[in-house]
Amino acid sequence: MKRPRNSLLPIAGTLLAAGFLAGAGPAQNGVTGRAGNFSSAEYFAPPHPLQMKSRLSGAEARPVSGGLLVIQELKLETFNTNGLVEVIVTAPDCIYDTQAGVARSAGHLRLETGDGTSHIEGDGFLWRQDSSLLTISNNVRTVINTPSEIKTGL
Amino acid sequence: MKKIYLIAWLGFLGGGLPAQTNVPATPPTSRPPTRINSDHGEFDLSARRAIYYDHVRVEDPRMTLTCDRLTADLPQSEAQERHIVAETNVVIYAVDEKGQTNHATSDRAIYDYRVEAGVTNETVTLTGHAMMESAQGTLTGEPIFWDRTRNRLTATDQKMVFRQNISPAATHTNAAPAPGQPGTEKNSGSPP
Repeated sequence: MKRPRNSLLPIAGTLLAAGFLAGAGPAQNGVTGRAGNFSSAEYFAPPHPLQMKSRLSGAEARPVSGGLLVIQELKLETFNTNGLVEVIVTAPDCIYDTQAGVARSAGHLRLETGDGTSHIEGDGFLWRQDSSLLTISNNVRTVINTPSEIKTGL
Repeated sequence: MKKIYLIAWLGFLGGGLPAQTNVPATPPTSRPPTRINSDHGEFDLSARRAIYYDHVRVEDPRMTLTCDRLTADLPQSEAQERHIVAETNVVIYAVDEKGQTNHATSDRAIYDYRVEAGVTNETVTLTGHAMMESAQGTLTGEPIFWDRTRNRLTATDQKMVFRQNISPAATHTNAAPAPGQPGTEKNSGSPP
């Protein structure tokens, strides 16, 4: 199922509205400015086109060359079709490729389930927005809290 | 092929763990968390699948598992289903109700937990050089199928070696038993 929208558009829109990205070309050279408190949403395909599928937000986004954004205090949320939060991913910073829809960082990452029962941490990550695939490069640590009546392992 | 059924076989692999049955559920209580550590990980948030790579270690309150790769389908929070596959150099240590540590190894271990129509099924299937060992003996088979709900082991082409306990008093020594001490071997594999 193809994603219906390109999530970089809201980011670009935010930056444009803030007077950055003069020329708005796909390949901006050098730092062109910064924007605060931005967010970028992606929606489900029909039959749930009004339901948000994921939201990428940050305290600050700074464009750099090659269509990249340096995002501070990254927060990525994914939702199910009922609007409930499934996971929340946070990281101190990352580089977001607006053209490829890929976010990456060598820094720390924390993923927490929407119900707060479990979390995953690691160092270094790659997030592919199109496939909703998160790769954690090193030191993956998962903690699963489960009610006693449900087993979790072998 | 001949299969044998070993009901509650020596409490193997934590067989004494509170097995899931179709009795009325009790209210949830807190329990220590399950921890999964690995060098690398890949998480498909759409398919709700997690894959852990390299030096994978699962620590459960009564079980430790290590392997090279572990794939877990992540259910919805209310789902009554679990499917986990551990692959390559699978080693499991589990503590039974008597506090004894049991040991299993295989190339692959598949854990399935499912509740259907109020009936729970929880199984572990070991394949590829599958071996289960407890203080009482060693079981090999291909595969070894463990029904945790009914606390029953099934092995195809199974081979069992019961450990003989030779007490120091009987042998007039205080030496620890050698790791490969003689045992009673029983091969119940396929008949000719």
